[in-house]
Parts: sequence; structure tokens; C-alpha cells
Amino acid sequence: MHPRNIGKMEDADASATEGSPACGDQVTVYLKVDDNDLTIKDISFLSYGCASNIATASMITEMAKGKSLDDAKKINWRDAMEALDGLPPVKAHCSVLAADTLQSAISNYEIAHGLKEVPEFTKDTIVEELKKIIYPKVGEDIVTLKMVKYVGLTDGEVLIDLNIPSFDQWRDNIAEEIREHLEKYPVVKNIQINM
Amino acid sequence: MKPGLIYMDNCITSKPAPEVLEAMQAWLTEKFWYPGSFVSTGEIINEDITNFKATIASTLGAAPEEIHFTSGGTLANNMAIKGLAAAYAKQGKHVICSVVDYPDLLTNAAYLENLGFEVSYLSADSEGFIDLDELKSEIRPDTILFMTTIVNHVVGTIQPIGKIRSILESADHKIYFHADAGQAYGKMLLDVNELGVDTLSVSAHKIHGPQGIGALYQRKGVKLGQIIHGVRRIDNLQTGGMNVALIAGFAKAAELSFADIKATESTLRELSNYLLERIEATIPEVELNGPRGAGRAPHNINVSIDYIEGEAITMMLDMHGITVATGSACASQGLQANYVLMAIGKNHVQSHGSMKFTLSRYNTKAEIDTVVEHLAEISKELRSRSPLYNAKKNQEK
Repeated sequence: MHPRNIGKMEDADASATEGSPACGDQVTVYLKVDDNDLTIKDISFLSYGCASNIATASMITEMAKGKSLDDAKKINWRDAMEALDGLPPVKAHCSVLAADTLQSAISNYEIAHGLKEVPEFTKDTIVEELKKIIYPKVGEDIVTLKMVKYVGLTDGEVLIDLNIPSFDQWRDNIAEEIREHLEKYPVVKNIQINM
Repeated sequence: MKPGLIYMDNCITSKPAPEVLEAMQAWLTEKFWYPGSFVSTGEIINEDITNFKATIASTLGAAPEEIHFTSGGTLANNMAIKGLAAAYAKQGKHVICSVVDYPDLLTNAAYLENLGFEVSYLSADSEGFIDLDELKSEIRPDTILFMTTIVNHVVGTIQPIGKIRSILESADHKIYFHADAGQAYGKMLLDVNELGVDTLSVSAHKIHGPQGIGALYQRKGVKLGQIIHGVRRIDNLQTGGMNVALIAGFAKAAELSFADIKATESTLRELSNYLLERIEATIPEVELNGPRGAGRAPHNINVSIDYIEGEAITMMLDMHGITVATGSACASQGLQANYVLMAIGKNHVQSHGSMKFTLSRYNTKAEIDTVVEHLAEISKELRSRSPLYNAKKNQEK
């Protein structure tokens, strides 16, 4: 394996870490950004995860290098997967994690440099997070697959109704992932998932 | 790189001994017949099978008529567990096993629960030993079956069968005792009378025999409900098609492993001690999962390499032609961390970073040196890339 852009960046302008050891993978992305034209001058990553995790992070950082922040924001997990000539459905979530971490690092840079406000947590935020959760059997996200029936948000109480059969082997895995994605927001007090 | 150049995943399956392949030939060619009566071809096969049963029986301290050939360990486990449950359900519907048992036992337990049985799952300590106090307290008047995995398939823990037996025998009614010996058989001396088991499952391909054949030991006088119905070949439990060549191969593999079982055990123990010693001397921050010393199966070493993930390690070792196993979620079908490691109190990082080496008599110290050398390099490389390792180094600063 010869991943590109690997290693810690000591003088990064922004960084982000997503995922957790509980899910089995975690990625950190470091950015060095040109203040004048807002392009990504340098980028690197660290990965705790399997080979697909390392490969997708390598590909995402390679794609983002030299791009303007606005162009880099358009890079999504499907692009990285395509660039790698596909991944098994059960590994699609690795690409999501890598793309997500890049987007978080860009967002952290923009917030730190006054280019945008800290986004408000709304139902849309929840839906955006759910779009990052992959149903491992088919390698598509649960929103696209219309598995999400209802999303509610009242005073930090999140309510999600999912359409997933009781015998589905991925049920617990998906519920765990949803919690993982939403619990990082300080405003979220409780998450109720109905299946 | 040739795949499987160095093979250290012998708990999954092992290389058939050349003598085994040779021993099977006659029944794949001129003696292709089935057992039967009144014709000499059938009588010859009857006699062969009786001899093979005697060989397997002798490795377990059993009588030949107490051995049934099966398609492997899983069928043997199913015949025993479902068979005992069916035969003795009238006396009670309570079963005891543990959270660290082999999947065959746990999936059968879940099936019995669906049928209306109650199952108590004993917990295990940090080394994988089941809780014997819990066993004592879980025994009820309607408990009919206790089952266990003699050698744990993940961390190599040898359950204290002698103590278990005395607890079961101190109950004021009979509790049937089934043991999965898949990882124990051929690695250590097993005697069904000393173990006190009523049924026991073994498999050929874990001891350099062919895949697709195993055996069930059924103590004389113990009843088993029939679970596979079909044409009777040898007895009511063994119905349908059979493969005499595989049975012949199994008998040869058992003969080879048990020619000097003490020597087999000490060879394996010496290799695994050497492997652990080399890993601990070469790679910092590794920890052994499961017990150290005599409580551990002689062929199993399971270590967690902190801060890195096992599937990446496994794939990188594979690039050097080395086959090993990991408990990482990434490498599992359900994306879940290994349940045995989680049940004995390991955290996600320890489970995802766990590497399982299971050795055979065909492994050498030179192979172990090569494996540890690559493992050390890979660990160093993956740690340098790991956000967990970098975060830990920052903390130390």
C-alpha cells in the first residue's frame, strides 16, 4: 500500500477528526490554505482503519489538493469511490467518512476565518447527517434508499423513524451509526430511533 | 507473492497431511462402494467404517459404537444440541451455555429459545474463563443441558472441565453435558470419561484431515432426537449420502495427531511461546488476549496491537504471503467487533486491533521470525498514520 498525503501536518491552518474507534474507523484531515485565493495548498491525513479507509482518504486528499475551497466542497464520497474504481457495498462507509472529514476541515477553516457562521442545528442538519449513513448491504445511504420515514427535532430531542425489517442483520449497526453521527452535536440531548 | 506462503490461521482450517490424501485414495477409486449387507462390497465398507470408528474412538477414550461420522463439527453440534433438547424436553426446558461459546452453540441456543426453551448465558472473566459461581446458581430443577466450548476459538482459553463436571454432577438430577472440542481435539489429550461429557463434537480439517468430515461422540445410553431424516446408512442418526474417503482421511489424520499427542502438544506450545515472546520483545504496546500459560490452548496466540486496526494489518501481512486472522469489525461480515473479545471486557480499539495466530505442527520458528519481522514493520507504519497513536503521543509531550 502506498497511500498519498499521509502523515500529521504540524503547521496546519485547519483540521478535523471524524469517526470513532467504536465504528472501527477514524480519520483526521489537515489543511494548509492560501489566505489570498482560498486554495488548498497542502493537505494530509491520518487514518485508524482498514485498507479501504486508507485508500479513500488518500484519494479524497489527492482530489482536493490545489483546489479552491469552493471546488473542494463539491467533492463527495461517490466521487472518491468512482476514482477508486468502486468499493464493495460494505466498504462504502469508508468513502463517506473520508469525504465527511474533508468537509469538516474546510468548514472549520471557514468558521475560524470568519468566512461563515457556526451553522444552526436544524432538521436539515439531521437529514444531512443521515445522508452519510450507508446501508452496508447495498452501499447506498439510508436517505436515498428512502429508509428514513420521519425526522423530528424538539428542544434537542431527536426522533427518527426508520423503515427497516426486524430481521435485518444491519439494524443495530445503523442505529449505532446514527447515534455516533448526531451525538457529536452539543445541542442534541436525546436520540430516539424507531424501527 | 504466493498466497498462504506462511499459514497461521489453522483454527479456521489446516493443511491436509500428505499421508491423509494418500490414505483416502482407495475409497475414491476401487473401493467406491457404500455400506450394505448380503453383498461383499457392502460388507467390506461396513468393516472399513467400523475400523475407522475404532480409530476415532481410541483418540477420545470412547467405544467405537459411540462415534457417529458427520459432515463436520457444525452438524455434530446440531445433532447433539437439538438432539438432546428433543430427547429430554419432557424433563425440562432450561439450557445453560456462556457468552463466549462458539457460534454453533450460540445459534443453536437461540434456536432453542425460539422453540420455547429458556437459556442462561454465563459470563466470562477477563481471560475468557466462564463464571463457575454463576453456573452453580443458574442450575434449576428444569435444567436439562449444559454446553461449553472446551478451547475458546478466539482467545484459546481452556475451560476448567473438571470443575464444571463436579458442579453438574452435584445437581440432584441429571444435566446432560455437551462439549464442542473443535479447537481442543488433536491439540491435547481428551478423554470423554475423564471429561464427563455426554456428547462431544470434533472436526477433521482442524487436525490436517480433509474438509467436510467430523464426528459426534454420543455416550452409550444417552438419547438423541433425530434431526436429519432420510435413508438409513449406518444408524438412525446418520442418514443420507456419505463419503467413505473423507472418513478414511479423517481416521488417518487422527492417527497422525494422536500417535504421540503429548509431543504434538509440546511442539505447538513451544512454537506459540516463541511467537508470543518474539512479539512482546519486538513490538511495544501489545497485549495478550486470553490467559498465559497452561490455561491456554497450545496453538493459539491472540494479541491486541494498540492504536491500529486489524484488517489493515491482515491485508499488509497478506501482501507478504502471510495468512492470519483479526477480530476487527472491518473484517467481519456484520461490521461488529469480535463478540468474545467484547464479552471479556476488551474495548473497541483492543478488539479491532486484535490479531489471532493459530499454529500447526507444520509451522517453524523461521516462519515465526519472518512473521514478527513484518508485523513489527507494519505496526510501526500504521501507527505513524494513526490519529489515535498521534493523539497519544501529543498527550505524552
